[in-house]
Formats: sequence, C-alpha cells, structure tokens
Amino acid sequence: MVQISNNPAYSVLRIKFKKLGDLQYISHLDLVRTMHKIIVRAGLPLWYTEGFNPKPKMVFAAPLSIGAESVCEFMDLRVTERIDPDEAKRRLNENMTSEMQVVDAYYPDVKITELAFLSYEISIKTNGLNEALLEKCRAALDADTIKVVKKTKSGDAEVDIKPLIRSAQIRTSGGEMVIDCTLSADPSSFLNPEYVVKYLKDNVGILSDPIITNEWYSILRTAAFKADMTEFR
Amino acid sequence: MPVPKNLSSVLKSVTKPGRYTGGEFNSIIKNKETVKCRFAFCFPDTYEIGMSNLGVRILYDVLNKDEDVWCERVYAPWTDMRDKMREYSIPLSAIESGDPLGEFDLVGISLQYELCYTTALAMLGLANIPLWSKDRSEDAPIIIGGGPCAYNPEPVADFFDLFNIGEGEEVLLEISHLYIKMKEEGTYSRSAFLREASHIEGVYVPSLYRAEYNSDGTLKEYEPIYFDVPRTVKKRIIADLDKAPYPEKLVMPYTETVHDRIVLEVYRGCIRGCRFCQAGMVYRPIREKSPEVLCKAAKCLYESTGYDEISLISLSISDYSRLPELTDSLLEWTDEKRVSLSLPSLRVDSFSEELMKKVSSVRTAGLTFAPEAGTQRMRDVINKNVTEEDLLRSVRIAFRGGKSNIKLYFMDGLPTETLDDIKGIADLAKLVVNEYFAIPKPERPHGIGVTISVSCFIPKPFTPFQWEKQDSFSLLEQKQAHLRSCITDKRIKYNYHDAKTSFIEAVLARGDRRVAPVIAYMVKNGAMLDAWDEGFDFDKWMDAFEKCGVDPAFYTTRGFATDEVLPWDIIDCGVTKKYLLSEREKAYRGVTTPSCAEHCNGCGANKLGGNNKWCK
Repeated sequence: MVQISNNPAYSVLRIKFKKLGDLQYISHLDLVRTMHKIIVRAGLPLWYTEGFNPKPKMVFAAPLSIGAESVCEFMDLRVTERIDPDEAKRRLNENMTSEMQVVDAYYPDVKITELAFLSYEISIKTNGLNEALLEKCRAALDADTIKVVKKTKSGDAEVDIKPLIRSAQIRTSGGEMVIDCTLSADPSSFLNPEYVVKYLKDNVGILSDPIITNEWYSILRTAAFKADMTEFR
Repeated sequence: MPVPKNLSSVLKSVTKPGRYTGGEFNSIIKNKETVKCRFAFCFPDTYEIGMSNLGVRILYDVLNKDEDVWCERVYAPWTDMRDKMREYSIPLSAIESGDPLGEFDLVGISLQYELCYTTALAMLGLANIPLWSKDRSEDAPIIIGGGPCAYNPEPVADFFDLFNIGEGEEVLLEISHLYIKMKEEGTYSRSAFLREASHIEGVYVPSLYRAEYNSDGTLKEYEPIYFDVPRTVKKRIIADLDKAPYPEKLVMPYTETVHDRIVLEVYRGCIRGCRFCQAGMVYRPIREKSPEVLCKAAKCLYESTGYDEISLISLSISDYSRLPELTDSLLEWTDEKRVSLSLPSLRVDSFSEELMKKVSSVRTAGLTFAPEAGTQRMRDVINKNVTEEDLLRSVRIAFRGGKSNIKLYFMDGLPTETLDDIKGIADLAKLVVNEYFAIPKPERPHGIGVTISVSCFIPKPFTPFQWEKQDSFSLLEQKQAHLRSCITDKRIKYNYHDAKTSFIEAVLARGDRRVAPVIAYMVKNGAMLDAWDEGFDFDKWMDAFEKCGVDPAFYTTRGFATDEVLPWDIIDCGVTKKYLLSEREKAYRGVTTPSCAEHCNGCGANKLGGNNKWCK
C-alpha cells in the first residue's frame, strides 16, 4: 500500500460523492465552502493547518464547472484519527441533501493527482436532429484537428483540443443527441466538456435557436480513470 | 425542486444561477396537497441579501413549525435573470416548490428599506399579480407587508391588502389561522377576510380607511369605513423573548451570502434615545434574552449549521446588561471549536479592552464606531451621549490591540447643524489619527487608516425629529464638499452617501397615499433594485413626480407642522407624540436625555407590556 501521507498528525480520507440536479448551478468555490460546513456538522475529526489562521485541508480533484453534474467527484480530507470510512460516509450523508451524497469513503492507495481521464455523457436537445446532423457532428469530432478559442490568463488563445479527447462516440436517446466521451483530466491539460459542445455549436450549428428555452444540453461526469485507463479510486 | 430542462439554458446564461435553484440543506419541503395554507415570504432584494435577514429566518421557522402552513422563500432576481424572465414569460416562483407566486394563499413582503418598494412591486409584476390591491381578483393571494418600513405604510398602502405592524411571530400565525378557518367554514371572501383580519391586534388593512386632505394639501384625518375597524393600529410585540420561538436550524445557502453566519438576537429595543433613530423608538420597550437561552440557541445552531462565526446582534450590543456573562459562557466552547464571535455595533462609551479581546477575530483588522456627529454640541442635540474622550479612549484601546483600521460613522444634514459641526467631523478624524501617533511605535500596529462614512440625515417617522425639514440635496452636496475641503490628512478616507438617493428615501419614508402613483409609475417603467447603484435613477424619479403631479419637497424640505396630521398617525408604536415633542424641544436646547437604564423617561412604550426591569 502506497503511503499517501508521511505526516503522523493526520490521515487522508478520500470521499467520492455525486453532485446532481440543481447542484450543477453551484460553483466550485461555493462547493468548497459548503463542504467545510458539512464536515463540521458531521463532526469528523478534521485536521487544521498550523499557523496564524488555521484552516482544514480539503483537496478536490478536477473541479466541476457550473452546468455539469457528476456521479464521481473526489475530495481528500485530512483527519486526525482513522475513523471508520463507512461511519464517515453515514455521517456526511445525514448532513447533505439528496442531490449531493457520498457514494464511497476510504483511505486511498493512490494520490489524487493520479486522476488522468474523466468520462462524460453530454446530452443535447437541438433543433433538426436527424441522421445527417449526427453524421456532421461525428465528422466534426473525427477531424484531425479540433480548434477552439480558450480563455486563458493572457487573453483568448486558439487551441487544438483533439489530443485531449481520448474517445468520443455519438448516439441518440429519447430525442436527444448523446456524446459519450473521455477527456483529459490532467491538471496541465484539463479539457472542459463545454468546449466539445461549443465546438459543435460553432462549427455544425447545433443549439442555434434564438429562443434559448427551445434547446438545451446537459453534462454528466460518469467515470474517472488513471493514465493506464484503469479505474481511479 | 428540479429545474425544468428547458430552463437550464436560461440558468446557464445568467450570473450566479445557484441563487435561484434552492435545494439547500435545512430548507423545508412539505406536501402542498395536505397543507392548508401556503405562505410565500418575499424579500424584495437579491438572494444574497435576503438569506441573511434575521426576520425572514425567524418567521420562516415560526410559520413552518405549524403543520398546516407551508412557508416558502421568494427573492428578487438580479437584472439579467429578470430580463430573461420577462423575455420568456417565466413567472416569479418560490424557491422550495418552484410554484409561481400567484398560486399562494398569502404572500408576505418584508419591507426593510424604502428603496426596496420598487423591487417589491416589480416582484408582484413578475408574478403577474396586479400591483394595486383594488385590482386583485377573489382568488389572488392576499398581499401582506411588514418590517420596519411598515411603521409608515402609507406610500405603499394601496398596494398591500394588509400590513403586520410590529413583531410578526404571533400576528402572521393568527392571520394564517384566520385564513384557514374561513376557508374551512366556507365564509372566506377577500373582503370578509380583510374585515375580520382588521380585528387582529397589529393588523392594518388600508382599504378600510379613507384618507381626507385639507385644502393646503396636508392630511385632515383617517376615517375607518366601518365602526368595527380600529381608529389606530397598535404595534404588536413579543412580551417574553426567552419564551419566543427561535430557529434551531437555518437554511444553509450553497452560494455566498452577505452575512453567512449564525446570528444571535440578544435583545429588542434600545435603552438609548438617539433622536434621529427610528429603530431606537419603534422597537421599544427593551426586552432582553437571558444568557442561558442565548447560549443554548448558539450551541444548537452551531451543531445544525457548521458555521464558524456567531454574530451577537441588537441595536447596541454593549448595552446588554449581561454581556460579560454571555460572552464568557460562549467562549467556554467557541474557541475550542474555532468559532469566532463578532459584534456589529459598538458604543464608544462602553468599549473596553476586555470586550475587544473576547471578540477579536484574526480576520478583522478594523473596528467601527459611530459618533454620528463631529461636535459635542451636535451630539447633544441628537442625544448620542458620547464624548470625544470616549471615542479617543476607544480607538487607543483598538490601536494598542493591533487594530489598524478605524471606521467612523457620521451623519450630515442634522437639525441645527452648522458648517462648524461639519468641520468637526474632519477634526475628530484627525484627533483619531493623532491618537495613533501618540502611541510609541513598538506598541502600535503598522500603518493606520481612518475611514469616515457620512450618511445624509432623513427625518424618520416616530422619532423626535419626525417634523424636521430635510436639507435640500444641493445643500447636502455643499456640506459634503465642505467636509472634503476640511480633510487635510491623507490617512483619512472619506465616503459619503448620495444626497439625491437620500432625498428619494425621505419621500418614501415620509409620504402619504398620494405618493403611491409615483412608485407605480416607476415600476411600470421598469424600476427595480433601487437600493443598488445599478437600479437607482434619480432623473427617472424626478420625472415620475412630475408626471404624477406630486411635489417631493412637500414631504422633505417643507417639514411638518407639529399640529399637522402625520401620514403615520394611523399607527401607534407605543412611544407617544407628546414624548417625541418634548424630546424635540430638548434637542433645540441641547439638553440630553439619560438612557432607560438610568431612569425611566416615560416614553409611553411601557403600555405595550414586555418583561424588562427598566420601564416604570
């Protein structure tokens, strides 16, 4: 077993949780704030940083952007005693609403930074959905380069996101187009699935109704993998 | 409630969508088919502001403790969301159920400040509920107003079906029970309900009174249109706050709100008698909670919320007669749990090193004091009862305790004020700076900042200054410029309120029913969120006054004669007009009045009852 922490003062407890429904509209920063209060309510033995302004240490893997749901979010917590993970899970869930629940809690074998890929299910309700449109979308994602304009600290930059898309398939379900894709989640080359939607919107013309309530899309994060494509946990 | 899929595109296109979707921990969901009364509690400002309001927290809890009532929350959308709601005909809905406001039985609107009036009415508009109560159909919700602005409800009287005057814990339940009873008996009609409700103490039904005017435009009288309707409406209070319900849980916002912390209400009322202060008069008599009850509530709230800050609030926290006892018992466990205590308002005459240490939180580098006026003469006129030495002693303690930023609150435009009094504000700030430099370097913090924040005096109803003229905004602007010229030290930062905004606030605070068309005109023309810089447009207000034929000067720079019928004479807040007049006369003589703790001054609020050791 890999030693995650060398500091005898605390153990690292990993929390895998889901964030669904209306909670997709809660930003990452707000999630962090909320999580702190949840942990205090649950009475977990939180370890605090030393220093002038002690803070608990919470590390989140691959922050989810507003407008995306997930069944596989990960957070590492530092606890001062090795409490029973199932007990921690039970106490946390009592202090969360049904849209945010812990699915698993455990003392992990691998560092949270080993998360390398994330899978998403992107469902799109767009006008004029037919086989021809699906083909156009498939062709667009199969192209050699997929150039999008990314916002960076130093202004807008055109980036080729093709190398960051490990796989992408398109199907239909209940009148919606569904893209099943696996994208890079490495912090240095993280790809937000919004860019896949934006690329198709700008280049294939989906989601172009001026009445925005006529069309919609949803993003669900479904699975997490290490670099060798085995399950991350 | 899950947002319908087609609205997800709208939510993704607006700022901070999380404030519209609810689903918060501790929010209350009931079965709408089995409850007997659905109550929508509206706060006419954004979610971030409204979620912090103590009154809403208390009343949400009180109403939902009744199994027959389901109280939900409604907030104003920000401008981007409002525009989308109008564009796509999305009606304003309650956070918990997502049901449109129009489907509720009772809609309560908390009126916290005058500039929220346009927002309150715009919210009705977004819910497709007619603005004027006379235009509402039989099945429309009953619109209830309450909160501090309801002490002069007249400018908005014609928009509301009824007002709750005073503290709402009991009144709102009585209104809900009356509604349920009349519905079950089959005796409910809009008019029968309102007539019956007018018999509840603390309920004012504007449509049951006729306002008559004299030929000079002043009010002649209010005439009840039925014999069984009370001539004046007496404010309700909770007699024993220790026995009053207090929330054990708080709805936990996911998004950041302005006061995201536990708030402990320590007492209601105030023993001081600052002559400009409406809260200090209308919340009388003073009623304290016991430290035992407060500590129990604090512990309970900490466990149910996980907040790391407890704010002790009241009009003047250092006047709480058992403050050391309270802070000591809180500190027994708060330190260990890393929970900090904060006090929002400090009086310079009772500030001490001990108190500062107890509440010192590493996160704040500053303290705020409110001398309110720059010279002793002026402070005596307003009965502030603090001295220059009190202030300098307090800032000395603060500087020595490591606080480097001092914020001072003042007012300009006060009755009898001269330019010397204005200059006194700058002089006092300079003395604070000098106090810092008088401390040896190793014993004082690095760097100093003094901020003076000056607001414009508004003669508020139910204060000894209620008859006063308000300075014209051009005079106020001159005074502001004069003060700026008197400040010579770069370490003093000067903030001031917009005089034009205060002028509009004064009209809305002091107006009568003839002001209502102006507000309706503003709302029809898109006004909302006037309390925000983004929303306030002075020229539009002036245009609305002109279009509606209302002279704003009548309510502001004119002043009111002492024998004039005042718009708020319909309300009895406890404190008598006779007392207010005697205080006004003392103000002119520069004579101060001692606090209730020293001796009872006979203000009249004792007739309302309430357990306290001071009223005679």
